[in-house]
Amino acid sequence: MGLTSAANGGGDDGFRLCIFDLRRGLSEGQELDKILFFYPADLPFSTQLSVIGLSEGLITFTRIFSPDAACEEIEAECHSHVFYEAEPDIWMVMVVEKSKEKEAIWRLDALRKVLKEVHSLFVMFHGSLRSLLMKDPSGGSLRSQLFLFITDYLSAFQKRSPLDYCCWDFLVSKKLHLPSFRDSLKERGTIQMLTIGREAALEVQSLVRLVESCTGSTSCHSLLMFQDLLVSTTFSPDDTVGLFVYAVQRLIPRVLSTGLSSWSYLRKGSASSASFLGSAAGGGGPLTEQFYGSYDSFPEESRTSQIRPLQHEKWSKGKDGFLVNDSWRPENDNSVPSSPTIFLQKSDERMYFSIYQYKNLTLIFTVPISSIPNGEQGLSNVKQLILENASLKFSKVEEKLTKGWGGENAYHVSGYRYLLVDGDRNNSRASPPTKVATLSKESLLALNKLRKEVDLEKSRVRWEAARYDKDLEISIRAKNNAWVIARTTRGKELYMVLENANETVLYASDAVEKFSNRYCNGVFSLD
Amino acid sequence: MSSEERDVGEPESCPDCVRVGLDSLALNGREGEKEGDDLGNGSVEDGVGGTVEGLGVNGVVAGVGGGEIEEVWDRNLVDGRREREENRGGEIEEVGDGRLGDWYKARAGGWGEIEEVGDEKLGDEHRANSEGDVEGDSSASSSGYAAEREKGSSHSGRSSASEEIDDGEAAMAAWVPGKRHLDEDEASISWRKRKKHFFILSNSGKPIYSRYGDEHKLAGFSATLQAIISFVENGGDRVKSVRAGKHQVVFLVKGPIYLVCISCTEEPYESLRVQLELIYSQMILILTKSVNRCFEKNPKFDMTPLLGGTDVVFSSLIHSFSWNPATFLHAYTCLPLAYATRQAAGAVLQDIADSGVLFAILMCKHKVVSLVGAQKASLHPDDMLLLSNFVMSSESFRTSESFSPICLPRYNPMAFLYAYVHYLDVETYLMLLTTSSDAFYHLKDCRLRVEMVLLRSNVLSEIQRSLLDGGMHVEDLPIDPVPRSMSLLSQLSYQRIATPTESQESLREAFTGTGGPAGLWHFIYRSIYLDQYVASEFSPPINTPRQQKRLYRAYQKIYASMHDKGVGPHKTQFRRDENYVLLCWVTQDFELYAAFDPLADKALAIKTCNRICQWVKDVENEIFLLGASPFSW
Repeated sequence: MGLTSAANGGGDDGFRLCIFDLRRGLSEGQELDKILFFYPADLPFSTQLSVIGLSEGLITFTRIFSPDAACEEIEAECHSHVFYEAEPDIWMVMVVEKSKEKEAIWRLDALRKVLKEVHSLFVMFHGSLRSLLMKDPSGGSLRSQLFLFITDYLSAFQKRSPLDYCCWDFLVSKKLHLPSFRDSLKERGTIQMLTIGREAALEVQSLVRLVESCTGSTSCHSLLMFQDLLVSTTFSPDDTVGLFVYAVQRLIPRVLSTGLSSWSYLRKGSASSASFLGSAAGGGGPLTEQFYGSYDSFPEESRTSQIRPLQHEKWSKGKDGFLVNDSWRPENDNSVPSSPTIFLQKSDERMYFSIYQYKNLTLIFTVPISSIPNGEQGLSNVKQLILENASLKFSKVEEKLTKGWGGENAYHVSGYRYLLVDGDRNNSRASPPTKVATLSKESLLALNKLRKEVDLEKSRVRWEAARYDKDLEISIRAKNNAWVIARTTRGKELYMVLENANETVLYASDAVEKFSNRYCNGVFSLD
Repeated sequence: MSSEERDVGEPESCPDCVRVGLDSLALNGREGEKEGDDLGNGSVEDGVGGTVEGLGVNGVVAGVGGGEIEEVWDRNLVDGRREREENRGGEIEEVGDGRLGDWYKARAGGWGEIEEVGDEKLGDEHRANSEGDVEGDSSASSSGYAAEREKGSSHSGRSSASEEIDDGEAAMAAWVPGKRHLDEDEASISWRKRKKHFFILSNSGKPIYSRYGDEHKLAGFSATLQAIISFVENGGDRVKSVRAGKHQVVFLVKGPIYLVCISCTEEPYESLRVQLELIYSQMILILTKSVNRCFEKNPKFDMTPLLGGTDVVFSSLIHSFSWNPATFLHAYTCLPLAYATRQAAGAVLQDIADSGVLFAILMCKHKVVSLVGAQKASLHPDDMLLLSNFVMSSESFRTSESFSPICLPRYNPMAFLYAYVHYLDVETYLMLLTTSSDAFYHLKDCRLRVEMVLLRSNVLSEIQRSLLDGGMHVEDLPIDPVPRSMSLLSQLSYQRIATPTESQESLREAFTGTGGPAGLWHFIYRSIYLDQYVASEFSPPINTPRQQKRLYRAYQKIYASMHDKGVGPHKTQFRRDENYVLLCWVTQDFELYAAFDPLADKALAIKTCNRICQWVKDVENEIFLLGASPFSW
């Protein structure tokens, strides 16, 4: 099977992802204890340790000069290493190979966002790594959870959805496809909003209130999506991003009905997933067993007891419209509820995690376990109550939103290829992927390079003692005569590519000005 | 005593290198005068004192001073060095190697596969140090860091360049050549806080040069750098850079020589890498690439004695990384002169070039007055930069004529040329390059001829005048199309005549903060064909060294952005931030970089750029060296 070869080194693309804890394995001979996760798992331990050794060495080294911000990236001739300190002393490092294959041109900040995303999703479902290590100091259960979780996560990168890049990549590749320069007009870790009218907004608001009142809990939060766009949320900004990202990957109707998600994998049936996992776990033979020996029961036990929220095809729509997932199936151990649960940030309490779907609408709501009497039974009652009281409202809202929706190309602005990011609100809007795909490779590469420059400026601002918002305007006429433009102001960023445009700088800035006035309330306009 | 005799007399196994070593040591004799303590050899100072007049420089000038005295001088210096070497050398070796292993081990844990020695000493040390750093923040008064911090906190984060004043970098006028902060090492907080470090080390981890601190005390640190480089190399890769917060570490491997820069100056990777390349080339200029052979013979070869006393050369080069556009433009600049004046200088240089001189270069500070190359020989702008830096930074060249082996890395990195250098006045110097090691007398004759002609034709006084007048001022940018006959120099003299000095000054003051038309503050124009650039004089509001350095860095950044290896060169770039509007325009013929007030009107700025290009074309006879360029072959 193709996936197997990717993991087994036959098609080794040089990709590595590891998580290690600097507080572990401090004494000689115990170094392996540092490793919490390593992909591919079948690499010899000496190789794994050398990746981690280099990372650790550079973290220590860079702290000599930069005690507040240790190593963030290593650029070498053939590889880039991206660092992310997910939790104090717990580091995630991704190594990507700059292969001769020309698509392998990355923007490291985009790769770092992948690390952030996988970590925040993990924490959402399992809690922080440090807290799990405290519960089980051997690290065994954390390792097995990370292993399943990240392997499920990575399997999503194995193929791209033709829906995303229909114009340039129908090829099914054995390699992992990470965000590359082709994704320069996307911003991972942001939400995309649906623009709605006042009337619809009122309807949505009353629906949300109705649902939250049905739970009878004051700490109920909800998030409503239309297709893959956010309509409303009462979660904190960070939780909203996490839930939104997860919903787009695993919950929205398009993913459920066809097995496709917006940014990944054409996967039919769970066989391939299992084999991917199998190859990742089993390929290493005795070595792997030796390492994972601390939880030797791993393959069997964990597959039944571990929650695998990222596993494909696990969510399905029940007859009542609520989504179900048997990942959280009951065990002998009654302390863990069988209904899906998550952790919200800034709260240690487990929340019931319920999803209701009506046509294009997806509603996510969470209720603290403690606030529902009678556990599972209580939750069923809540769901029943919602069905009884809110069904009509759901269909009304759905109808209204469908009517008002402009379709796939709703946010296309002709002549422009753009990405608009609001860093304060964690949201972004961009030209539809099909339109971005019409850009030439040169333009995208130039934009990717420009974004790297802006990333650097942003990170400098971050480390400045006095915080101020970087006001920056860069317009570049590239070799191929396209204009690539970046504007940042007051926490907002605008990136643009204008092909077939006039050569004067004035033309380019007029174009930005018009766009800004029309679509950004003049945020990027001068004066 | 002729130079050949000296060659014969040299004891070491690597004659090429050692010869230069001695020569550069001799050069340093002058340093020794200033820093006798550093050399730890009082007799050296005496020796130097007695020989200054007679020896000229490097002891190569025969017949004037006695050979004996010269020998004493050299020996003293060498002994001084040796002593120092012996005192510390063995120890360093041990420390270096021991720690290297430790580092491997401490960092790798399981790197044991590669290296199975040592304990966690260095790792612990590093760890302890970084903790110490944090503590130090509150009680660092003894390290001098507290003062820096105070300075830093009184400004907003934006003006963090103020920390650098400590390095003397920001204040150009106050810049002192040579190495400072010798007392620092990796454990000093002040050392860690330096904004920009440069290191040269050998592939066995031996320190060769460090911008700050005593190389010998940095042996452990050098070993760490070496370990990083070789660890990545063992993995079949080559490390280029590491980024951490505001810091960037850039690596460059040149055979057995490793160069590393650690900087938090916001300069792009490409710029820092070019700077490392230049430092390496500067070293080659002093030693030639044949120094590699020493490492082939003995991997633990200690190079520091060969470079002994050349600290000033490196520190002055590093200083130029923050003010001299030649370091990133790879072009040279000319002193503005009337066409006829430059022609006159060129003619006499051409005369002597025909008599077996490879290159004849007449320069005033870092600006070229004229230069001539023998047929087919071309001189790279980088070589000119490094050569003039070498000459200008070494005090000894100023005091008398000198004949010194140098290597032009872009011309032939393996071989020495011989440079005859003579200062015609305080700022103006003539460099005659030849392949022949016994051409001293011939070149001396050539110089006398040149000097006579230059004096007689008033070229030297014209040079002085040009120095005073400066070049292009943005305030003088013609607003309306000027009659084409109007030259830069006649413009200048016109102003001088028309407005008495006082009122001119008050006029200039009225301009304070406004610069030229349309908010133009400064520009650099680079001619691609000529390999030359012209930069306008700094005018208000870019009138403090700190502002100039900031602008310089902004140019550097936009240059790197325009010339990206993968997607560049771009054609046009408009960039506005809180400090400037920068406009850059790259064509096949020229590149223009112009800085405006951040609030400048875009349309007007573009018009102004067109006018600058026209202006430059109008006065190109005076600001560029035309026709005689050996580069177009």
